Amino acid sequence: MATQLGVYVYGIVRAGHRLPFGQNGVGPGTHRIRAVPAGSLSAVVSDAPESLRARRRDLMAHQEMLLALSSGGPVIPMRFGVVAPDESQLVAQVTREESRHTATLERIGDRVEMNVKALPAEDALEPLVREDPQVRRLREEARRRPGYEANLRLGEAVAAALGRRATAAAARALEEFGPLADEVAPGPEVEGCVRNVSFLVPQSRTALFRDRVEECAARNRDRVELRLTGPLPCYSFVAPLTAPAGA
Amino acid sequence: MTTTTTTYTGEVACVPRAGTLYDCLELILDRGMVIDVFIRVSLVGIEILKIDIRICVASVDTYLRFAEACNRLDLETDTRSKTVPELFGGGGMATGIGKAGAKKAARSVGGRVKEAIGAGGGDSEEDRDEEEGPSRTTTRRRSGTRTAGSRTRTSRRTRED
Repeated sequence: MATQLGVYVYGIVRAGHRLPFGQNGVGPGTHRIRAVPAGSLSAVVSDAPESLRARRRDLMAHQEMLLALSSGGPVIPMRFGVVAPDESQLVAQVTREESRHTATLERIGDRVEMNVKALPAEDALEPLVREDPQVRRLREEARRRPGYEANLRLGEAVAAALGRRATAAAARALEEFGPLADEVAPGPEVEGCVRNVSFLVPQSRTALFRDRVEECAARNRDRVELRLTGPLPCYSFVAPLTAPAGA
Repeated sequence: MTTTTTTYTGEVACVPRAGTLYDCLELILDRGMVIDVFIRVSLVGIEILKIDIRICVASVDTYLRFAEACNRLDLETDTRSKTVPELFGGGGMATGIGKAGAKKAARSVGGRVKEAIGAGGGDSEEDRDEEEGPSRTTTRRRSGTRTAGSRTRTSRRTRED
């Protein structure tokens, strides 16, 4: 039965990694996880559900399984939705890349991913209107000759100016708490964000990192909104490294 | 006295709650390891989630909202301030059309999502789940009452969970 649908892969861990109990996997109904040994590693899998879609519930099951796994040691998180045809093919694949996976687990160690998104601070229009001559001028125009067009021009200028201010403030902010991280990886572009950056932070330093981000966010409140998510599984730090210089 | 042993020590306390899914969606879908030879189940919904529903808040709507907020500002240097109703007196109809347009756009995106999801024949509870995107975004974008403290910590969808 399981072989027909394949196995859903959550992540790769070291052999002997303690699996969390009672955590349900991806898919409707009960999907218990198990470790599939592959040399010095294990793949953590469950039977693949019959139909798999990016449902909120399943995304969360994937995420929470990885978080639960993380408490037992380093985990290479798979992207959501990886399904192997069967266990033997999975073992073959994992074993083939064993040294790379081992190095990645080493690299992750006891670190976690902290993600920071920077968005324009939309609540802080007043300083913007005061400081930006163009916005100020368009605002005057919109007040003298109110109408759809004038408002559109004003709004567009405001959106652009908010974006500029946020981008500049975010760049400065990232320099402040960036050094607390061991590695930094730009995240995918996200609609509405001027920056999306992930940081690889030692577990012992996450509280400090959070404090620093929050303090920075408070100071730059009228320019940028900083949103911190984490600790997360190290999604952004498990891709094969691009060949280092000289290699 | 009962002593409650809590696993939420200083460090674990900031484990993301379910509510923060929205803020790391792109990491779960775009990052993480893939094994090339395995077919990553082609998931109806991923593309939609990514193109995202966030787009529902059309730019025009955003611009008009900014303009409105901007006009509402009461800078003391400005002596000839008008109230919002006055301001929109002339452009009211046009604004209305703009808003209706944005709403229509949002509806049609919602429709597309429904179609795509409906094609998978899933249960209705899940479908509702996936459609929550647009309204949530709209709520966040429109609300001006976020507190500074909540900004870095909570996501748009905390309440739901």
